[in-house]
Amino acid sequence: MGSSSITGRLLQYVLVLLVAVTINFLLPRLMPGNPLALIAGADVGLLTPEQRQEVIERAGLDRPLIVQYATYIGDLATGDFGYSYRQKRPITDLIAERLPWTLLLTGIALAISAVVGTLLGALSAWRRGRFTDVASLGVMIVLESMPSFWLGMLLVSIFSVQLGIFPTFGAITPAAGYQGLEAVIDVVRHAILPALTLSILSVPGVYLTMRYSMLGVLGEDFIRTARAKGLSERAILLRHVARNALVPVVTVIALRLGFAFGGTVVVETVFSYPGLGRLIFEAVSGRDYPVMQATFLVFTIAVLISNLLADYLYPLLDPRARAAS
Amino acid sequence: MRFDPGRTGALLAAIVITVAACSPAASTAPSEPAASTSPTAAPSEAPTQVAQVRMGIVGDESTLNPYTYVTGFPGWNLLMLQYDSLMAIDEQGQPQPWLATAVDVSADGATYTLTLADGVTFNDGTPLTSADVAFTVTYFQANTQSRFTRALRGVESVETPSATTVVLKLAGPNPSFPLRTLADVPILPKHIWEAVTNPAEHTFDSVTNVGSGPYKLVEYNSDQFYRFEANADYFRGEPAVKELVVAKFADDAGAVAAIRASEIDMIVRPVAPEQIDILGAEAGITINKGPQFTTTMLNYDTTKFPFDRVEVRQAVSLAVDRQDLADTVYLGGATPGSSGWIHPNSPFFNSAVVTKTDVDAAKALLDGINATDTDGDGIRELDGQPLSMEMLTPSNDSLRLRVAELVREMLLQIGIDAKVASVEQATWEAKIWPDFDVSKGRDYQLGVWGWSAPVQADTGQIAQLVHSDPAVGSINLTGFSDPETDQLAEELGITGDPARRQEIINRLQEIIATELPFVMLLYPDGAYAYRPDVYDGWIFITGRGIMDKISLLPPEARP
Repeated sequence: MGSSSITGRLLQYVLVLLVAVTINFLLPRLMPGNPLALIAGADVGLLTPEQRQEVIERAGLDRPLIVQYATYIGDLATGDFGYSYRQKRPITDLIAERLPWTLLLTGIALAISAVVGTLLGALSAWRRGRFTDVASLGVMIVLESMPSFWLGMLLVSIFSVQLGIFPTFGAITPAAGYQGLEAVIDVVRHAILPALTLSILSVPGVYLTMRYSMLGVLGEDFIRTARAKGLSERAILLRHVARNALVPVVTVIALRLGFAFGGTVVVETVFSYPGLGRLIFEAVSGRDYPVMQATFLVFTIAVLISNLLADYLYPLLDPRARAAS
Repeated sequence: MRFDPGRTGALLAAIVITVAACSPAASTAPSEPAASTSPTAAPSEAPTQVAQVRMGIVGDESTLNPYTYVTGFPGWNLLMLQYDSLMAIDEQGQPQPWLATAVDVSADGATYTLTLADGVTFNDGTPLTSADVAFTVTYFQANTQSRFTRALRGVESVETPSATTVVLKLAGPNPSFPLRTLADVPILPKHIWEAVTNPAEHTFDSVTNVGSGPYKLVEYNSDQFYRFEANADYFRGEPAVKELVVAKFADDAGAVAAIRASEIDMIVRPVAPEQIDILGAEAGITINKGPQFTTTMLNYDTTKFPFDRVEVRQAVSLAVDRQDLADTVYLGGATPGSSGWIHPNSPFFNSAVVTKTDVDAAKALLDGINATDTDGDGIRELDGQPLSMEMLTPSNDSLRLRVAELVREMLLQIGIDAKVASVEQATWEAKIWPDFDVSKGRDYQLGVWGWSAPVQADTGQIAQLVHSDPAVGSINLTGFSDPETDQLAEELGITGDPARRQEIINRLQEIIATELPFVMLLYPDGAYAYRPDVYDGWIFITGRGIMDKISLLPPEARP
């Protein structure tokens, strides 16, 4: 792959990012209602005139739009996402506190769904039409259509409220003061149900892609050749079929990375997990527009990064894509 | 993407309850506590201190100093665990002496002389003196990013003749001053705050977070929990609970699941109407119910067709069946509205005001002004125009939406066509209360509205609600104008004598019930869930609920 195509592609991403940032900047200024209410949130009615003036000056609403835009871009470039009038804290701090928890959940969920989805998909395709295939396909389609909040509530109700195995909420036991190994176990216990919910929701996507990809490869001429050569079924499955079938699956998994972030909005809310998704939910219900803007931007960046990753992983896995570019 | 947190939350809760009810374990035994940290419960009659109570709130209240807490409820209530005000609210919701053991008001009602309690110290050991009170007044006046700035606006000077005496001079008499200011503003320690130049951005830690209150915030974990420790030397007596853990939930359903799993012992927010019976039936959980002062009402523009006609307003008030609204939408968990505005459980309620539903009388009123259905479509016409309009309601409040839908049916019966328009909250506010400034007028005909509890709790606020001059009637969202009302509202603002105040308030309720600047529909009741085996000292403060620091003090230490 030539260096010019790398720069070209990066330029595309920068352009998309700029468009997203611009929309993000314009939205609160175009929405109905008082822009002051959009910046200061639901409590604007309680602000004194001096406070209102302070908010307007602080948000720069008294300056020309183009100046506001330049300031906005400049602040973003230095990692300054603005100030939450509702939470009374810099948004960069809020995001920094919550991002690790979301990465933990999405990381676990992605790992589980990648491994389980790929293995089950491969197995299903290999046993096409037999009981294993039909049963797992059926289960996956049911799982795929489950609403995430419903699944989360179901797991809480069974495993937390009724059986008392896992905690119902949070990322740690409040004020328990655990240290060392105890603290690690506490975090794991709290992460299991939300991570499980997220995994269950993303397994079907990986599974279906792997299954169809495998079926495609199984029908190729070179597989017939391999069989004709007298290779063992095991060698054919692992060396020829699975390796070729994995190419689109890796793309799907990389893209899931971005969308897994989106899935955390509901799951982190159901489990009161202190991540970015819950930050979005609370920003929306509390009408904290600066926080909404900032978190939407972070999600946009996550999707862009996962796309970029997929773009660059693909040629590494598939020599044809390398030759083409 | 359009979120509806209220509706989603209720839906989620309904599902979790359904699921739980179907599960066999629910009917046999309450689940065991999942966490090993369950507190040691004290027998209710024993005077021993309870070791720990875990409460659940929804959302984060930031770093909980007077400049950074987020909401009026429960943010202010949590803030006041650490700080004290000069007066405090008693069980009836009335201000009583607290840090100030004596509150003397001058004959003209504009000078308050306060005597501070002896031996009060901040929890770092520094004595609390009149200098701290004076500092608090000037600090909040100078640093405007706080609600206490508004509360102290009318204070013109503060003098400290002795270490335990404070004299506050107001610009004029203000009978609401004890409730709205003395029982609201936290007293700051001067030696800490005089060094703070930008309070809104000052993140407090456990060392600098100093107040004189019964609790001290010792741990803050963003979006997860707060931990408070009791102040053993509290001037009113040692708190009844040693440690408070306040867990932060994303929504009500999460808190409900947690109290059922014994992971928390109390939910700070009121329980949703549809959950009251189910949660109350659970072993080990008690629901404490009582009157609250939040309001749900119909607002209309009284300066424009058709609500400029008092007969139309009266017909609307007669057509709505308030009991039906309370029973159907709130499943009985609401008090039907008094057309005179004041809650029937309030000590200021005028029992001579009778609120009734009479559809025939409503029809007769409309017939009387020749508002009849001339074209046979079931909708009356008045002066050639149909009585047809939009009724605005915020899309994020499912209860208000249901109220609006029922009111629509009730008004259709008398030939008024009020179409429900469920709009985004910002749009709803911008139309009914443009720029939150009454002098900018109104851009609506009819809407479901509601005020938070303080507007009802302070009877002095009637003046702001109904006075025709925006400078006084700062929340007169309906453009109501009536000379007698204006005169009474002005008199109320300067009258300190309780008997005369009651007379004025009684008369105002009569006027409101007949002139109808708005139609009071109902007051949602409060219902609070807690585990009495852990702590049973919660008291219901009229209009405010159970989450207040006085609930955490032994009975003899309460106001």
